[in-house]
Amino acid sequence: MIKILIVDDEKPICDLIDLNLSAAGYHCTAVQDGVEALDLIEERDFDLILLDVMLPGVDGYEIMDYIRPLKIPVIFITARYEVRDRVKGLRLGADDYLVKPFDVVELVARVEAVLRRYHKTDNTLSALDVVVDVDGRQVTKNGVPVVLTNKEFGLLVLFIRNKNVALFRETLYEQVWGGEYTGDSRTLDLHVQRLRKKLGWERCLTAVYKVGYRLEVHG
Amino acid sequence: MRFSLKLLLWTMVVMAMAFGLGGAYFVNYVFETSMDRETGQALEESSILRFAFETAALNAPARYDVLPDRTISQIAYNLAGGGGGRTLRILDEQGDVIYESDGAEGDGRLMEQTDESHNAYQVVRQEDRYQIRTCVQVDVLDRILYLETVRDVSEVFKERALGFTVYRRMMVVMLVLGTFIMHGVSSWLTRPIRLLTRATKRMAQGEYGYRARKVSSDELGQLTLDFNQMANALEENIGKLEEEIRAREDFVGAFAHELKTPLTAIIGYADMLRSRRLDEEKSFLSANYIYTEGKRLEAMSFRLLDIIVTKRIHIQRRRVEAEYLFQYLRDMYANDRTMAFLFCNEGGTVWADPDLIRSVLMNLIDNACKASEPGERIWIGGQRQGEGYRFFVEDHGIGIPREEQDKIIKAFYMVDKSRSRSRNGAGLGLALCAEILALHDSRLEIRSELGEGTQMSFWLPDPETQ
Repeated sequence: MIKILIVDDEKPICDLIDLNLSAAGYHCTAVQDGVEALDLIEERDFDLILLDVMLPGVDGYEIMDYIRPLKIPVIFITARYEVRDRVKGLRLGADDYLVKPFDVVELVARVEAVLRRYHKTDNTLSALDVVVDVDGRQVTKNGVPVVLTNKEFGLLVLFIRNKNVALFRETLYEQVWGGEYTGDSRTLDLHVQRLRKKLGWERCLTAVYKVGYRLEVHG
Repeated sequence: MRFSLKLLLWTMVVMAMAFGLGGAYFVNYVFETSMDRETGQALEESSILRFAFETAALNAPARYDVLPDRTISQIAYNLAGGGGGRTLRILDEQGDVIYESDGAEGDGRLMEQTDESHNAYQVVRQEDRYQIRTCVQVDVLDRILYLETVRDVSEVFKERALGFTVYRRMMVVMLVLGTFIMHGVSSWLTRPIRLLTRATKRMAQGEYGYRARKVSSDELGQLTLDFNQMANALEENIGKLEEEIRAREDFVGAFAHELKTPLTAIIGYADMLRSRRLDEEKSFLSANYIYTEGKRLEAMSFRLLDIIVTKRIHIQRRRVEAEYLFQYLRDMYANDRTMAFLFCNEGGTVWADPDLIRSVLMNLIDNACKASEPGERIWIGGQRQGEGYRFFVEDHGIGIPREEQDKIIKAFYMVDKSRSRSRNGAGLGLALCAEILALHDSRLEIRSELGEGTQMSFWLPDPETQ
């Protein structure tokens, strides 16, 4: 199981990240203090560290200096959005940068991306009878290949990564189409319908009234 | 063109003109004087010769009453010193030459200008020689003769030419020498300007600390002093502006952080509530976080509003009995059993806006409570001190590290974030206190030992009596 260390001086934020990443299947440990974080890093192995920049005790950048030789991927979490702060973090060797306030879906996606880059995740996702090879962009249903367009593939990955989560139209649109959601949801609806049909997921990929869609996987 | 070069050039032009004109005038003056002298001598000589001729003519044995040309020739020859001395010639009234020594050739124009009472002379040039030619009328017996003398004055002209040559040489030397000296002088004179220019350039490049060196005590030196004074004022202003900008940036940064953290939590938990099916425990946790973080935002926005309003208002100070303020606090904390509040105030009058000062005291007491463990004692008091009244709030809590003491009145600054967060602090209380006290011409004084406790005090001065 992937082990993630969350370092943030705000308990609510720690809990928020913890809850969401745990739901996505990661094992999380959260600390609110820089010194404590350093002790933990020394004692245990982590696959990923989510690090707040403004910390009591030891500064996030200082912790970064300590982590770098250990080759543990780091995602900075900070309220500072200025370019120079981001550049400083990335120069120090951070793998990604998450600016508060962030969307939970975005957090999960970034964590996945960084872990994938370090080949720490198994690059096949599965839900029900469908298996997705993310790197190979191949989808099989009961061992039979299914041909999907780019957008359909993106939607499928997003649904599988957020099982049982109601994904809002704007979230889906922003994540897959990569632009600001303009309110025109017919394109999105069309793609979801095609996806349902191709995978035979008419029942489990349900529309949520006034929200969007949810992939329902029971058990 | 550089100023020193201009100065040098103009000095040299004026110098050359002055030398040229002055020299020419001087050489000419010397020449004129010499010529006058020579002319005088020539005329004098001719007078003497005339007299000598007349005498000789009278003594000559004359057979008739007419002087024959031969005798005249003889006398003239004798006067000329046998051909080797003077140069002269004798003409009769028709202008025919009777006697002529070597080199005395000439025309008859001079003779025409001469009469009984008037001697004529002229300066003539013969090839490279200059001569003064004089002419006098001589009456001997019944003949009228003209005696012409020639005097060589080439030397005087030569001297003039030499004078010009020497003078020209001297002028060249003087100008070259003058150029060197004036070059030095002009660069010495314009040095303050150069130094000022350099200082201006350095300052324009953002080096506001650079100052021009004062090297003279004249007007330029004064200018340097004035410039430096201006630079000082400028630097001070820029420093102030930079300080202000930094403070504002710090504020905005801290504000963004304080705003974004609760927002992240609120948005995140709300998102979880709307998109997931959470169990009861998690639902409650999420809702609770949304509530507390929302409360935190509320507290922060009200405090910020207070600070902004406080910055704008103009307070009306009035006379208040200190006891009135303390009574209010006593009533307020009477039911609070979590801490032991001890009041030790002396009576006296305070000049202040009582509502604002009460707010300051409540903030300080609030901070003292946050720093202390439940049940610990907190002293609240005040006394007359000098021309004013001093309030203090003291606790035996955790104290403030020395290096943090200057920063704690800054907005959003918290010594121990997690601790003050858990007690609903936004880091704005002391910033508000500082603003209010600034309106009262006072400031917060902090005495604190880590682990021993903190005393916060401020002194409100009485208004100056007219």
